[in-house]
Amino acid sequence: MGAVTDDEVIRKRLLIDGDGAGDDRRINVLLKSFTKWCNSTGSPEEGFTQYQRMLGTLAQCEFSMGKTLLVYDMNLREMENYEKIYTDIEQNITSAHDKISECKKEIQRAKRIRKNRQEYDALAKVIQQHPDRHETLKQLEALDKELQQLSHIKENVEDKLELRKKQFHVLLSTIQELQQTLESKYDCCRCALLWQDGLWVCWTMWRSLYKGWV
Amino acid sequence: LQRKLRSIWSISLLILLSRYKDRHLHMSVFSQSFSPCGRFLAAGNNYGEIAVFSLSSALSPDATDLSQTPILTFTAHEGPVFSLFSTDSHLLSAGNGEISAWSWAELIKRNTKAAWTRRPNYKSSLEIPEINAMTVNPTENSLVIGGGDNNIHIMDLESGVFKSVLQGHTDYIHCLSVREREGEILSGGEDGAVRIWDHRTGQSVHCIEVYKYEECARPQYGKWISCLTTESDWMLCGGGPSLSLWHLRSMSPTSIFPLSGCQRQANFYQDMILSVGEGQCVSHCLLGGEVKAQIPCTPHSLNTLALNLNSTDNRVRVLTVGGSSHQIDVFTNLSYRTFSLSF
Repeated sequence: MGAVTDDEVIRKRLLIDGDGAGDDRRINVLLKSFTKWCNSTGSPEEGFTQYQRMLGTLAQCEFSMGKTLLVYDMNLREMENYEKIYTDIEQNITSAHDKISECKKEIQRAKRIRKNRQEYDALAKVIQQHPDRHETLKQLEALDKELQQLSHIKENVEDKLELRKKQFHVLLSTIQELQQTLESKYDCCRCALLWQDGLWVCWTMWRSLYKGWV
Repeated sequence: LQRKLRSIWSISLLILLSRYKDRHLHMSVFSQSFSPCGRFLAAGNNYGEIAVFSLSSALSPDATDLSQTPILTFTAHEGPVFSLFSTDSHLLSAGNGEISAWSWAELIKRNTKAAWTRRPNYKSSLEIPEINAMTVNPTENSLVIGGGDNNIHIMDLESGVFKSVLQGHTDYIHCLSVREREGEILSGGEDGAVRIWDHRTGQSVHCIEVYKYEECARPQYGKWISCLTTESDWMLCGGGPSLSLWHLRSMSPTSIFPLSGCQRQANFYQDMILSVGEGQCVSHCLLGGEVKAQIPCTPHSLNTLALNLNSTDNRVRVLTVGGSSHQIDVFTNLSYRTFSLSF
């Protein structure tokens, strides 16, 4: 047990001041000069100067101790500061991760929206090539009206045609009858015919005409 | 037609080139798929090999050059692996007209025994048509396969029975997509038609011939549709015609993207469209039709683009592209290429 602690002590001392210069040497020198001063046989002035020198060395030792204590405090505070910064940065990292995943979701959504828009545009392009529905309807209506008018006119013309046909028919048939009657020699009755003044006259008619003369 | 020629070429060169040291020069990556946990990437190439990369070790802070090479490479099929798809537990790979399933847990333990291998019923037994695209219809738990025989085969994942065949395309099928909500399957093919099928009746509900629309058509490239993807009411399709965004309700094209070269794969991502194809870059476009950015990458021509959205771990949320090179570019930030995995 004692050996372990000795090793520890040796390691610590080597770590702190291994090269033999500095504080450790100063303390050793102080101890040596103290023992020398205690056992000195010289004059009181020499003893006094040695005492002053020892006080000076002691003050130096105290000064360096104070310095190391301050440095130690400073290191502790630095450590705390670093700890705080470390936790801050970790928090930032996690929040950045969250933001990244949010943004990734956003980008997926935006890509879907863009795709939908593009599909819509592509379809719209095709639809634009076809004529407008209202216009086609209007054209259809106009054509319908025209068609109705024309069929109306056609009906009228057909009726007129029928009427004229009938009229002509009547006219022609009467002319034909008249012609027949004129051409036939037996006009009113089937009695003999006599030539009188450029006309064929039947016997009854001749008798009635020239009855008074006989 | 390009794919057919490529497959014939690669099969004939397979024996010669796969033994030589410069096989890397002639390698093309055709397909990619992420594991369900999101920590591994499987890529298929034109030699019929599948390589599994560990993304978590390639993206970790202490990654070395070794972590950018596969943890496992094995030959899965005799022909090129044009399509890879991951379910919750298995990796499905399509090559040489057949589909093999590999358990992800086994692959991570470097065990390369297939869980099962199945082949759709092809009418002609003379030529084995390649399978160009595979996707899963989650509502019915069925695998939809489209390939060189102009038909779409639907296989039930639990029983392995091929339930139905959707016929209608007049040339082979390049790409497939599933609209879960409406229960529709969309397919695009070499004949230039995008057909929309109802998965229950098996009838073609709509047929859009993209090359007939003046604003999309690019006669100098042809009429084939090589990339197709859907999201709710919108559809992206491109290939010979320009990459265009369609509104499915009105069946009308709303935006045309001025990208030179034929696009081979396009994806919707957030509010953007990512597209790869001929051209040494990944194009970022906005829905309105503008090309926002073109990020350069290693392969001169790109075949496949994959986004790792499976994992919740932000570190492995990457975009990977592969093409006519043995290197697969990895993008951790969409704006620039971070590093490349090497096959």
